[in-house]
Formats: sequence, C-alpha cells, structure tokens
Amino acid sequence: MARRTSVSGVTYIREKGGIREYRLPNGLQILLVTDPASPVAGFMVTYRVGSRNEKIGYTGATHILEHLMFKGSASFNKENKSTVWHLLETKGALVSATTWTDRTNYFEVVPREHLSTAIAIEADRMRTARINEKDRHSEMTVVRNEFERGENLPSEALDKQIWALAYEAHPYHHSTIGWRSDIENVPIERLRKFYDDFYHPDNATVTVVGGFNETEVLAELKKKFGEHKAHKEAYPSVYTEEPLQEGERRAVVERAGSTDLLDIAHKIPGAAHADIAALIILSLVLSDDKTSRLYSALVDTAKATNVTTTCWQFRDPSLLTTYVTLAPNQTLAEVENIVKDEYKNIAQKGITRDELTRAKRTIRAVIAQRRDGPYALLSSLNEEIATGDWTRFVTFPEALAKVTAADVKRVAATYLIDRQSTIGWFRAIRSKK
Amino acid sequence: MAQHQHQIQEFKIASGAGRLLIGATSAKDTVAISGSVLGGPNHLAHSLETVPGIAASLMDAGTTKRSKSEIRESLADRGISLSFWSSGDRTYFFANCFPENISFTLTLIAECLHSALFQASELDKAVVRARGRIAETKSRTGTRASIAFAQSIYDAKHVNYVSSLEAREKALGKITRNELKKFSRLLGRGGLVLAITGDVKVPAARKAAEAAFTSLPEGTMAPALKSANQNQNASREVLVRIPDKSNIDVILGAALPLRKIDTLYYPALVLADMLGGGFASHLMRTIRERDGLTYDINTSLQGIAEDTDGAFRVWATFSPELYEKGVETIRKEMKHFFIHEITADALAQKKEEIIGSYLIGLSTTNGLATVLRGLGEEGHSVSFVNEFPDIIRAVTLDQVKEAATLIPLTKLSVAAAGTFRKA
Repeated sequence: MARRTSVSGVTYIREKGGIREYRLPNGLQILLVTDPASPVAGFMVTYRVGSRNEKIGYTGATHILEHLMFKGSASFNKENKSTVWHLLETKGALVSATTWTDRTNYFEVVPREHLSTAIAIEADRMRTARINEKDRHSEMTVVRNEFERGENLPSEALDKQIWALAYEAHPYHHSTIGWRSDIENVPIERLRKFYDDFYHPDNATVTVVGGFNETEVLAELKKKFGEHKAHKEAYPSVYTEEPLQEGERRAVVERAGSTDLLDIAHKIPGAAHADIAALIILSLVLSDDKTSRLYSALVDTAKATNVTTTCWQFRDPSLLTTYVTLAPNQTLAEVENIVKDEYKNIAQKGITRDELTRAKRTIRAVIAQRRDGPYALLSSLNEEIATGDWTRFVTFPEALAKVTAADVKRVAATYLIDRQSTIGWFRAIRSKK
Repeated sequence: MAQHQHQIQEFKIASGAGRLLIGATSAKDTVAISGSVLGGPNHLAHSLETVPGIAASLMDAGTTKRSKSEIRESLADRGISLSFWSSGDRTYFFANCFPENISFTLTLIAECLHSALFQASELDKAVVRARGRIAETKSRTGTRASIAFAQSIYDAKHVNYVSSLEAREKALGKITRNELKKFSRLLGRGGLVLAITGDVKVPAARKAAEAAFTSLPEGTMAPALKSANQNQNASREVLVRIPDKSNIDVILGAALPLRKIDTLYYPALVLADMLGGGFASHLMRTIRERDGLTYDINTSLQGIAEDTDGAFRVWATFSPELYEKGVETIRKEMKHFFIHEITADALAQKKEEIIGSYLIGLSTTNGLATVLRGLGEEGHSVSFVNEFPDIIRAVTLDQVKEAATLIPLTKLSVAAAGTFRKA
C-alpha cells in the first residue's frame, strides 16, 4: 500500500534498483535517483506523447511543439530575460529536448545549485507555454531546415521509406520529423490543441538524478508542479492497429550519390512483449562487435563498410532492422542474400554458447554505462518511461539474463520471416565524370 | 560553484616517458581508458596521409602474438570495446572495460600499438573499406564544405591543410605493408599519455599500466615540426556542387595566427563562444531564433594546438533558397557583434557558462578520461583540472577585444557544399 512521505501531499509508491517513485495528487509521476556527493544534477520531464499521437495533416506536430516550448512561458520569457537559455545555459547547463515516436522529453543537466531553477521553468511551461503564430512562423523554417538536414542523408531517406512501407495504418508510418508539407502548413490552432490535449501533470513523469536533497526536491516539486490540475478529459488514445502483413514489401530510393545502402526490416512485438529480450540478444549476435555474424560476413570481408542491426523497443509493435552500407563494387542483391542467409542460419541452427555469453557481456557493459553520469541515466530512464513502464529499467536486465540460446533460435524463426519483411534499397545514381 | 569530486592522481610510467592519470569515480562496473602516443599523420608527408588511418584500423587485426580472431574474441568474451585512430601528431586509443579487465585491456593495447602484423590480405580489405568511406564522404555536405574551407585558407604544406578526396583515393592505392610497418615503428612509449577513470583501484591500475607499457620501444619522442600558415586571408568563396541535396552546409572564417601557448588563445576561445557557442550566443539568437534561417549555427576555433596555428570558423546549414540571405546575415551579424556585443556583462555571463559546462563534462567516466588525456597531451599538470576555471575567470574584456582584432571581418573565406539554386 502506498504510504506518505515526510513531504505532505507527496505519495511514496515504490523503490526499484535505487530509483524511488512518488506521485503528486494531480497524477504527476516522480522518479528520484540520488548521488549526494555529485556536484551535478539532472532534471527531466517526459510527456507521454510522440509522433504516434499524430495524424495526417499534422505529422511532425509533436516535434514542432517541442520547439515552440522554448519560446517562453508566463514567468520565464524573453521580455524578462528569464528563458531557459538566459537562466540555465548561461550557467553551463546542458539544456535540450527530444521528440520520438512514443514520448517527448525536456531536460537540463545543471551544476546542482541551479536545480531549483530547472524545476521552476519546467513546471511553468507545462501549462503556460506561449504557443503563438508569430513564433510558429519563424520556427517553421528552423524545423524545415532540420528536416532538410536529415533528407541530405541517404540513410535517413531510406529509413523513412522503410517505415512508411512497413506501416500502412499505424502512425509509426511517418517519421517523427513529419512530412515536409505538414511542417510548413500545420496551423497554430492544431499545435495549441495538441499542447492542451497532452501537456498535463497526469501525462508526465518528472525524473531527478544526481546531487540533490530528496526532501527538499520533493517539496519543490510539490510546490511548483502541484499548482497544475490533472487533465479533465481522457487522453486521446491510439487505437489503430497495424493489419497483418501478408507478403514481403520492397522500396527503392534513387538519388545522386556514390554509395548503395540496404535496409531490411521485420515486424516484431512492442517493448512489453516477453520476446523482446531474446530479440535484443539476437540483434547483438548479428552485429554488435567484430565477432558478430554480419560484421564477419560483410565488413570483415570488405563487402560493406558498416552494418547495424537494431531491435527498436517501442510501445507498439515495431521493427528489427539491419542497415548495411555497401563497399564499392558490391551489389545490393548479393548483400541482401548474405543478410538473409545469416537470418536463416540462426533460425534453423541457433546460436552458440559463446555468442550468447558475449551478448550478455555487452548487456552488462550497457547496464553499467547507463548509470554513468546524470545525462546517461536520464536518457535511459526516458526510453523506459516511453514504453509505459519505467521499472523495465530494472526488470529488463533480469529478463535479458534469462534468455537462452533456444529462445534466440525461436524468435529468429518466428519473426525473421520473408512475409513479415520490408526491404529497402538506396541505389546511388553515380555521376558520369 | 560546486567543484568536481574526483580524486585524480598522476604517475610517471614506461621508464619516465609516459604520464599516467587515474581518476577514481563513483561509477560502478565501468572503466574508461583513453590514451595516445606520439606518431601521426603530421609525421608523414601529405602523400602518405592515409597510412596512419589504415594502420590504426588494422591494429586489432592480428599481432605477432595473437591472430585477429584471438584478439577479437578475447575482447568480445570480456565485453571490452576498443578502438584506435590517428590524427595530428598522435595515434589514439579508447576502451571501455569492466574493472577486472583493466590489466588485460592495457596489455592488448600496448601489443596492438607495437606488434600489429598488417597482413597483406587485411590491408587489401582495409583499403576497400576506406575507399567505401571516401565514396560516402563525397555526398556529405558538411565534410565537403570543411575540406574546401581548409584548402581555401591553409597553404598546402600546413598540417591543417586537407587533401582532396580524389588525392586520398589515389594515395590509398599506393599504401604498402612496409609503409604501415614503418609508421608503426614511430609508435612507442614516447609521449605516452594514459588516462584511466571510473570504477578503478589506483594501485592495481598503476601496476597494470606499468607492466603493459614499459616494454614498448621508445618510438618517436617529439611532435612533428610545423611551419606557420603562409596563405594570406582573402575573401575566397568555394561552392562544392553536390546534386540532390536539400540542405547546404556553409563555413565562413579565416586563418588565425594563434597557438594554444599564445596569451590570446583563451580570450579567442571565449570570444568564439560568445559569438556562436550555444543557444544564448549572438548568432543563435539572431540567425536562428530571430530570423529562422537555420536549424544550427556555431562558432569554433579549429586546428589550433600548442605548436599549431589554426582557424576561426562559423558553421551553419541553410535551405538552398535561404543560402544567400543566410550568408549575408551572418556577415552582418558578425560585424554588429564585434562592434556592439563584446561587453563586460556578456563576457561575465559566457565565462560562467564555460566553467559550468566544463564541470558537467567531468561528470561521466568517459568525459573525465577525455579531459585527462587532453591535459596530459598538452603538458599541463594534473592540477589543471581545477585551474581551467581560473584561467577562464582571468580572461579580461580588453583581451577579448584584442583577440577580436585577429579576425579579419573583411577577408572571410566562404566554403559551401550542397545543391545551389544558381548554376
């Protein structure tokens, strides 16, 4: 049963792995990880809204809104020279925000004496951010340039095609930056509605890590964030499910360039599914280090300059992707076959004990490094919050430790199948010079 | 202002030729090893500039003691990540490992530096991979603009001059095993700097470092000799045309007759940050925040070392339709900044920002290792970790204004890469 803390009105929920969870009456979830000796503290607000909450006409809205959130709020703004840049970046703080499929986060890593300023700024802009047309107009070209920078990269162009083809109905169809025409034309009213729909305490998690006094911080959070009321309306739900894929899909992107790229994607379940742990191990066996299957088959043989397999851990069913940058004079078809052969090999024969041991060693290293400094810890917790269950930060390593070689063989056979795949080729059009 | 909390100790190792810096932190189960030895592209003729990179990429591909698979499997079995690279005067290494594997990791690093085999079959494959990376670079607007800028402001003998991608491709075809071996003989304990940070016990780490590196040969013992840039600043403009690009990368700047040992180095560093370091800087507030012309713009000192003059650069990205307006606005805002914005208040604010940011940079195992390696390479004492904030605090407004006079606003060069509207 939940119990009260020394700060009245703040409810203690639980502790796992040195992370203590509290809740305010307005529904705000609070996670605290103290390192009392540290001179640095990290503060983050994660909103459970991302590009999965967008629809046609306002793709990229979550991200544009993230930009507009830096235009000031009722108490912290340009007029009184009290924006987050004036008050915190000028103290050396690392200040930024990111948007992705399932969440948006705002964070500050600060010399610990400035933590209360970070709390005050984030609490204020949770409900009083200035979302106006003048700022949308000037920021649109900024965001469009961010989109253009991504489009400059063949890998990003191919990636967008893969997701757009793999997802017909579910909003993972579009990338988080959105379509260009939506970036240019989304009305300010739509962005304001988006803010009003999702930016409330009961749709957010505050995380504080590093050097701070727990009682003082809880009191500060209660004072600043406690002013906001829980949302009166139900949050818009994402009920669209991706229909079953019934055959391999293929995309080709042709542009001027000198390098061909291959991307192979297979449908996998969402992050909460029990098979994800084995799929993570599978991705490490395929491309984690220089002993991995695909590195040995492609990079070590100079057929490719790079290979990366990623098991995307999203809230809804997602993809396992292998992305290959081809070396000169290699063909996309040949490299595609090599990747598929390795997939089949694992699905039919499984992995070795050594491969399983190595993958688990890598996971031990990742677990250690994600607690190395305030930013690493905030960032890791952020992605777990996005999946809908922060305790996964603690429980998922336990699940990974239990994965067997048989589990890896089974998930390879279950998910790495052609009819659930989407293949992307970036074919560079070489100049004749 | 809080101080960093790490205890850092320094020792002489490798018969006095090397510096060992150990920073035990509160991190658990992770150790960072960051180091370098003298010997890099600066020690070779420009025509051999691709040799160090290829050599570094093959250091874990077999030694006189272990085969490639033995090395790679032993790293993977222990969960160690290890990389080598070479630039400037040095060849670098970086590893993350578990506390129980510090000794093994250090031993392997020394072995790879000293006794890599550079087998012919591995060389052939490394050359193919390097050609592939050059091919990728051909369509990268940022790298192409950067190369064009360096070629525009430095004379061809300067260490910061960058050869064309075509020249590098040509040079790759001529690399021999003998050249790799000859280069690797430069790499010894000379100028060794080794930083070990994280979950580390100092006596054991010291003993492991001493055991691993003492047997290394001396190697090259001095940085390469450099000549000062002979190019005169002039308003040069180079456009690198790459088809099918949505974004243009542009660099504006000039060569700067400044080395790290010069009095105006730190004032120039602060000046660059006031102009274009972070969201609160002048160029971000105007070009991005006010005018919406770019996603990112920043200013930096580039290629400057203790014994090397370098450059002052403004880097930005623009839509093709905003390119001309963007460059014009940068010039206008730089002029405005140099006349009106170098004030006592702005300086005080920027100094506080740099000091705070430095403190935050020390809060990770990898960040601390990188800082310690850097101060070791630059010959600073370990106390420099605490002295750096004082050096920044001591920068005066007059010094910053004097540093500003080194930047020739009317003779800035421009290099841009992308798809331009005008032919």
